[in-house]
Amino acid sequence: MTSKRAPWVLLAYRLPREPSTPRSALWRKLRRLGAAQVLDGLAALPLDARTREQLEWLAEEVVEAGGEATIWIGELASAAQERELAARMAEAVAADYRSLSADAEAARREAPGSRRRTLARLRRELRRIRARDYFPPPERERAHQVLAELAALVEEPVR
Amino acid sequence: MRWATRHHCHVDRAACAWLIRRFIDPEAEFVFVDDADEVPADATPLDMRGVELSHHGGDCSFETFLRRYELADPVLWEIAKVVHEADLVDERYDAPEAAGLDVLVRGLSMVCDDEELLRLTAPLFDGLYEYRKRALLSGREPA
Repeated sequence: MTSKRAPWVLLAYRLPREPSTPRSALWRKLRRLGAAQVLDGLAALPLDARTREQLEWLAEEVVEAGGEATIWIGELASAAQERELAARMAEAVAADYRSLSADAEAARREAPGSRRRTLARLRRELRRIRARDYFPPPERERAHQVLAELAALVEEPVR
Repeated sequence: MRWATRHHCHVDRAACAWLIRRFIDPEAEFVFVDDADEVPADATPLDMRGVELSHHGGDCSFETFLRRYELADPVLWEIAKVVHEADLVDERYDAPEAAGLDVLVRGLSMVCDDEELLRLTAPLFDGLYEYRKRALLSGREPA
């Protein structure tokens, strides 16, 4: 039987508890990449050239901050566990898409000028979410749709 | 001089290669390796984990080059902001060109090899340099 499981890239790290700045910088960067925190000190992303490189740079930052870090390439031994991990990652971005959709809906009631600014901000936010979305949930389509509706409203001529 | 970096160059390495040829070593020759262990003894490694000319303290390799070679040209630092955001997308700088540059260089890397990528992106960085220089001198976006 051939394995259908996908390869992952993992960052195993240990950082000194103090100072806390490198710790929070790392956390912020892992979150921006959409990495799954498998355990304390173990973060995972689906493997591609970009995710691997980004984790390598984070590993370097950990070492420069006086910690230890190694990069691993691996796969989950069970397909069910892989589905579980992917579902967890999908749910994390789904929540982000939902909150973006809610903001876009609320923006319909704003004054035209402020609505336009909100649209620009939400478009940037959508790009950020998409950059960390490896297992697109149905909420993504919805977010695109709500944002397109808001854009149409912004473009509507003022009567 | 010989310089070594990883295969499958993207925006940071393309920008570094341009910087090296224009400002540091016009005769630069690049070799591409898969692992740091394969760097030839006579080559200077760049943009690889654990080497000096690479990412440090949150800087991308292009920024490290500017610091290590004391290239204080403000136009190069303008380019550094774009390269940093195209490479790391961590919003340290406001560089809206970065998203476009990332797509263009990534796209090119899909249709040509590393030598070709460095050759094709050099005029792109020449143009970016000229544009940023005019913007800096005139204080507005040049046309």
